[in-house]
This record gives sequence, structure tokens and C-alpha cells, in this order.
Amino acid sequence: RGFGVAAGPPNTRQLREAEEAAPVFQYAGKAARRKDRVFVWGFSYSGALGVPSFVKPDAGWKKPRRIQPTPYRLETEEKISSAACGYGFTLLASNTRDITKVWGMGLNKDSQLGFQRSRRDQTKGYEYVLEPSPIPLPLEKPQQTRVLQVSCGRAHSLVLTDSEGVFTMGNNSYGQCGRKVVEDEIYSGSHLIHQLKEFDSEVVQVVCGQDHSLFRTKKGTVYACGWGADGQTGLGHYNITSVPTKLHGDIAGVNIIQVSSYGDCCLAVSDEGDVFGWGNSEYLQLASVTETTQVNVPRHLPFKIGKVKEAACGGTGNVVLTEEGDVFVWGYGILGKGPNLIETAVPEMIPPSLFGRSDFSPDISVAHVRCGLSHFAALTNRGELFVWGKNLRGCLGTGRMEDQYFPWRVTVPGEVVDVACGVDHMVSIVRSFT
Amino acid sequence: VRGPRFRKLKIGAGHRLDVKASGVFVLGIGHGNKLLTDLYNCHLTKVYIVGGLFGKATDDFSDTGNLVEKTTFDHITREKLERILAVIQGTNQKALLMYSNIDMKTQEAYELAVKGLIRPMAKSPPIITAVRCLQFALPEFQLEIHCLHETQQYLRKMVHEIGLELKSSAVCTQVRRIRDGVFTVDDALPRTQWDLQSIQEAIRNCQLKVETELEETLG
Repeated sequence: RGFGVAAGPPNTRQLREAEEAAPVFQYAGKAARRKDRVFVWGFSYSGALGVPSFVKPDAGWKKPRRIQPTPYRLETEEKISSAACGYGFTLLASNTRDITKVWGMGLNKDSQLGFQRSRRDQTKGYEYVLEPSPIPLPLEKPQQTRVLQVSCGRAHSLVLTDSEGVFTMGNNSYGQCGRKVVEDEIYSGSHLIHQLKEFDSEVVQVVCGQDHSLFRTKKGTVYACGWGADGQTGLGHYNITSVPTKLHGDIAGVNIIQVSSYGDCCLAVSDEGDVFGWGNSEYLQLASVTETTQVNVPRHLPFKIGKVKEAACGGTGNVVLTEEGDVFVWGYGILGKGPNLIETAVPEMIPPSLFGRSDFSPDISVAHVRCGLSHFAALTNRGELFVWGKNLRGCLGTGRMEDQYFPWRVTVPGEVVDVACGVDHMVSIVRSFT
Repeated sequence: VRGPRFRKLKIGAGHRLDVKASGVFVLGIGHGNKLLTDLYNCHLTKVYIVGGLFGKATDDFSDTGNLVEKTTFDHITREKLERILAVIQGTNQKALLMYSNIDMKTQEAYELAVKGLIRPMAKSPPIITAVRCLQFALPEFQLEIHCLHETQQYLRKMVHEIGLELKSSAVCTQVRRIRDGVFTVDDALPRTQWDLQSIQEAIRNCQLKVETELEETLG
């Protein structure tokens, strides 16, 4: 028995037995954790994306990639908790207790990434950093202090720590680093990192404008220093300030919970949901209260749009997010309501159906808004990223090179936790799905 | 004169429904065939209830195929599944806008996008407009899928891919169409009612719906 019998189609019992005897594979255990990743996209020749093979290909068949049009994963050693994009450079920070807490990549012509010692010539520094390189901070207790947040401007950067104040580096020709302006100072290859500690209470948020810096303290006060010709320092004059000075005007005595700036206009949100603005108003950003194009004292913007939760300032346009999860835009440029809306002085709402809210999923709402120089980004509570605005050198990440006139989804393989917008590139901090 | 009432009947079928699936199947009789082509050009969405089972992977993505692999699935939770479904909806939403062949830079594209009326009016790959998890009881789960231009095998493949995304594997146990454009399960006739009177009544009841839909979409 067994030799002359034909095989024939396996009957049901044999199939079931074979199935039960098959080995079971395990790809993820019960304790599998979601991984944290960083995705970058945009213009790469400045090194701001942190992928050296885009600028200098490491294999013969690879060609230099000028623009990365879709999100590209960046491998990092540590979990990145905060990222900031400047004008051609990026800072990544992790809130670890290890010695290396901040990495920088991109332009370093003004030492905005600290001193990066060149391997060819030990006395000089790198002008372009192509890979995330550690930034040595002069901390007193390097194994206890944690970095909370980083921020980048045109040629300077700020690092906020939990117990040692704020560290500033980079260009100081307008006092934006918070120290006295030195005539004919050479910023390239400089080792100087300044530490700022004299504020009325702990600093909880740092924001860099184009050539000025804003500091928000725990008590709700705002300090500013740097270039002031458009009134962006909000101190009542149009001169340079080289020491962080407290702002008054309409925000005196008000508990400010968030400040934002990227170009020459600044916005602040109070705990009661009011919006205050100062700085450049050439693009109708503050035209609802004044006709002047430069406002050097914080003014309350009387918008009747509900309680504001978050605000973000771009080069020519501004965006706010209300408690209900609605997004309002105003200013000049591609604002996100189609090609017909180019400029408005009064905030206009972007219909929530463009962010995915429908009868099928009525609980989708926007959780955060961010602004680059000429584009906007919005994060929903489901972790989806929407971008719109001018697509400068592929900074939107949609895969197309055209400008986007209404919010468009960026496909990122993960749930987007935070996003940082620069002039021509963007960085996002993402958690994987499973 | 005596004889059978109907000698020849021209019957055409609407969207295909394969052997392993079940549900609403639209047929047109006689002059209704012309209406069928018009309905096809409306490109309306269809709704399916898809049942799946975690832990197995087969070669034809359904539970009657040859077993390829068995995997564990105890790490899967409802939230992980809903996250994956949200991302599927997101990418398909993008595909919806891209295949509709409207220039994104015009104001009318923006208005249609706000109302949610953009959809491809020509041939396109299968697009899913909405997914929702109805039931989740490991190892089984049930999804409600609204889609365009799909085949049932594509839906089974999607269940398989959901299993792969969740680092496990899944097979499709049930595909049931509950809506095809304007026709729902309530309008459909079960096997016991496949006789002349019920068919005539059903045609009369649906006439008004079909006419309004055709007028709205084709103008």
C-alpha cells in the first residue's frame, strides 16, 4: 500500500490537518512599541535634509538629488522630540540626558550650527554640514539638563534648556543672539555660544523671526531682541536691541501662552483666546487695526472668530487655530481658499471638509498649525498632514512641483506628531502605525 | 391567441459580482439596458460589507484558498486597525483628486473639493472613498467600504494588505454588496421573490430614483 495509489486532489480532512500542522510566524509581539521616525523633504543642496548622498552621491550610479519631492526617512540615533527649520539649515533636538542633545545640518556660514571642526583642517570649521552633526553646548551639568525646544531664524538659532536658560548661536549683526553687537565680527567658524539667563521667570518657548528673537516666559511675558526696523521687536522703537527686553503695549499684564514668528511679523495668543500682533504689516497682516505698515508696539487684533488656541506667522500670511478646530487665514499670498483669494485683512475660515471632516467622519479636526515662509501646514487629530501655499523647490512634499491653492494631504508612512516648516524644506516627527 | 407572454427578453447586467461574493446585483430588462449604460457613466459609489479573519494568509486572499502562512495576531488592537484605515482613506482621497482630471489651480476645483464632489468621471483604477470598522472581535473583523471602479478581488487583496500592514496576515471571509449607486438591499429581491409580479413592482419603485439621479449627474 502506498506505491500504486495515485495522489489525487487532497480532501478536506487532509487540508485541515495540513493547515493545523503549519508553523505560526510571529512578526510583532504583544509588547511591540511604535517607533519614532523623522521624515524630511524639500531642497537638499544646502545640506538641510541631512542626507549626504543627495549632495555628494556615494555610489557611481547615484546622481545628486537637488529636490526631494516626497517625505524621505532620516535615520537618527536618538528619538527626536523637537525640530526647527531655518533658512537653509535644520536643528534636531532630543530631550535625553546624554551628552549629545542637539544635532544640526545645512548652512553653517554664520556658525548657526555651532563650530563643526573640519577633518581636513583642524583649525577651520565646515561651511555646509551635510549630515546631522552634534552641536557642543557649554552646559554646566551636561548629564542632567534637558533640551526642551529649538528654533531657527535666517542665520541664527536658539536652544531652550530646562534649567540652564537659552543658548544662542549664529549671526549677531543685529543683536538677535542677545549679546552686544561687535563691529566687523567674523561669524564663520566662530566658537561663541552665548547663554541667556536674565528673565523674570523660566523661559518656556523661544521663537526666531528672520533677524530677531522672541522669548516667552512662564509668567506670560514676552521678551525680544534683534532687528527692529519693521517694529518686530515690539519695544516701541525701530532700532536694534541687543539685550532681551520685555514687551509692553497691549500685552502688558496679559498671560501669553504662545508666540510665533518666522518673517518680520509676530503674533501672540493669550490664555483667554485673544490674538496680539506687531511687526511688519505691509501685507495686511495687521491692517484690521491700523493703516501703518510697521507696528512697533503689540496691538490687540479684535477678531470675532472664537477663542484662539494657536497662531502661526509666515512671511506674508498668518494662520490661527480656534478651540473648535477651525483654521482661519489672512494676509497675502496663496492662503488656501483657491486661486481667487490672494489677500485679505480679515481672517477667513478654511472649510473643514478640506481637512477630511465629512458626515462619515465628523470628529476630525485640526490640532496644530505651522507656517513656513510662503506655505502653511496643518496637523489633524488623526495624525494627517495637510500643506498648502507656494511650492518653493518642492518644500510642500506632495510629489508635484506646482503651487497648491487648497489644503492637500502629504502621504507620510506614520502618524505625524509634529512638523517644522522652513523656507524651502520641511521636517516632520512621525510615529509608526504599529 | 395563446402563447407565452414574453418570448424573448433582453437582459443586461450592471456592475459585476463574482461567485464568492453576494449582495445587490442590478439587472436591466429590455429598454432598461440603455439606462444601465447611463448609470455606469454616472460613476456612483458602491458600498460593501467585507468580513476578514486575522492569522492566515492564502494565495487567493480568501479563506478557501491554499494556505501560504500563519501568523500571530494578539498584538492587534482596534485603534491600530483604525489608524491603518485612516491612512488608506487618506491616500485614496489623494487618488480621487488626481484621477478626476481637474486642474487643481482653478477656483472651481477648490469649490468642488470643498463640497466633496470631485470624483473621476472616466476610467480609473479602483478608488476607495470611505472605510469604517464596524465590528472588531479578534480574530474576526468587519469593514464597511465605499468604493469606485473596484472588483471584489481587489477588496480581498485590500484585506490581505491590511493584515500585512499590521505585521500579521488576514484573509477575506465575506464580501457583500449592500448598495450599488441608488439601489440598496431594501430594493433588492431575495430568491423567494424572483417572480414576475415582484419584478414589475420593483422596477416601478426604482424608476423615480433612477431618473432623478441620472438628471442630477448627467445634466
